[in-house]
Amino acid sequence: MQTLDTIAYVRSGDKGDVVSIGVIAKSPDLYPKLVNSVTEDSVKELFGDWVKGGVAIYPMENIHSLAVIMRRALGGGATRTLRLDQTGKAMGNGILRLPVKTN
Amino acid sequence: MGKTIRLGAGSGFWGDALDPAIELLEKENIDYLSMDYLAELTMALLQRLQSRNPEAGYVPDLVAHMRALLPLAREKETKIICNGGGTNPEGAAKVIRNLAQELGLGGLRVAAVRGDNILDQVDELVATGCDLTNMDTGDSDFLAIRERVVAASVYTGAEGIIEALAKGADVVIAGRVSDNALYVGPVMHELGLDFTETNADIIASAITVGHIVECAAGATGGMSSRFDEMPDMGRVGFPIAEFHEDGTAIITKVEGSGGAVDQFTVKEHLVYEIGDPNEYLMPDGVADFTRLSIEELGEDRVRVSDMGGRGRPETLKLVVGYEDGWIGEGMLFFPWPHALQRAEKARGTLLTRFDRLGLKYDALHFDYVGVNMLHGPASPMPEYDPAEIGLRVAVHTRTRDEAEKVRRACAQLWIMGPGGTSFGTPMKPRPVVGSWPTLIPRDFVKQTVEILEA
Repeated sequence: MQTLDTIAYVRSGDKGDVVSIGVIAKSPDLYPKLVNSVTEDSVKELFGDWVKGGVAIYPMENIHSLAVIMRRALGGGATRTLRLDQTGKAMGNGILRLPVKTN
Repeated sequence: MGKTIRLGAGSGFWGDALDPAIELLEKENIDYLSMDYLAELTMALLQRLQSRNPEAGYVPDLVAHMRALLPLAREKETKIICNGGGTNPEGAAKVIRNLAQELGLGGLRVAAVRGDNILDQVDELVATGCDLTNMDTGDSDFLAIRERVVAASVYTGAEGIIEALAKGADVVIAGRVSDNALYVGPVMHELGLDFTETNADIIASAITVGHIVECAAGATGGMSSRFDEMPDMGRVGFPIAEFHEDGTAIITKVEGSGGAVDQFTVKEHLVYEIGDPNEYLMPDGVADFTRLSIEELGEDRVRVSDMGGRGRPETLKLVVGYEDGWIGEGMLFFPWPHALQRAEKARGTLLTRFDRLGLKYDALHFDYVGVNMLHGPASPMPEYDPAEIGLRVAVHTRTRDEAEKVRRACAQLWIMGPGGTSFGTPMKPRPVVGSWPTLIPRDFVKQTVEILEA
């Protein structure tokens, strides 16, 4: 199974209890695969009970990227969370576990 | 041709390296060095320092940084813009003015920009009847935390910085201005822009460019997915934005430094810590990241064009910090063989210890270090017998005494736990400052500028 790490780069961080993940296609021709693979349902299922709120995915076709916004996803925010990764820096890499879907 | 403003990023957070900022001033000719020091709840930490010592409240590193940077900045005619004033910009300005005198930099003008810190006006704000619903949780009961509030800082814009520059400031020390106001301010000052709607696109362009470079090495190879490809990261160069009056910009870095600037280092930072990219909401305007173009020019130069957006919002973001209990934490490590099974049994043993100690808690969290600490439920279990596994526990409690029980229970596993268990130094309980982000009317906040001359 091909996973997202073969087609995308990531960077993630926090704003309050929101975790944002930017997912960037390694080349423009891979962008459609990215869009197919990263969906609200696939992200929500991947992170399970670590994401308690909604997931929104905003396409950025101009730079062949997606902004993935996950609400109530940091265990209460950087200072309140009981996780070691207080600012969600590693969660971007987590999304790279998603399988690549071609359609 | 037209005017181009060269802005260097001199700091991306409190704790960032000083040597790349020195290198920026030494090797480049930049008009402004913009230095960001504040994260979301840094203000609560600084407010706590100031409550113990009224002279404190600014970022302590600021003094050592300015000692190194001020003489170079004067020589190169570079102005320094920072938010290191924390909760006490005027106190910081006095210290920096005195430092300038000590360094023989007579005539140096240091500006303090205030107005963001509304801790003393919280009751006044509540009395206006303004809706203070928590943006993250939807909780509207602000009065439930009112007595525990320790900090209240508004993300303010570039107005104070622009005023300070117009008054001839060489160094501007602000508190909680937005990170990118440190770039928007100089651009608006140099181009003589005000906040009328016709300037919305170019201000949004400055916001976008500020966002790209504000975390310093974040745009030059730091935090990159392609870190393995990045040259000489231990001496990474900080970025420079060349902002052109036509609203385009070139992102580059110090010549001969480590790291890189290419389309991906720029894209990676463009998508960092944003919400809806169609409307990146800032106090100075709303940038649209979905219409811009990025073009590699080679040699660590990337052009960003077609930027824009709309005028500034009527509300500003207020982040209230409040005392929110304690966290007790512990970490234990188990060696091969069957490290994970030992960790699992140790987890059960710890739960019994918590119970026997009568631990009262709001929330309890376990991780298996080396298995699922960073990705949680997204992590697969290992299909082999790992060389070592850690067990991490973190517990949120109401009081320090309860949090202390977590440390005690973990220590009891020194002898009560599995053979081979290893501990580092036990972790002290830490106080929690909760965050209550909300929106307030822009006109509640008034920035003021004070100039001190060395």
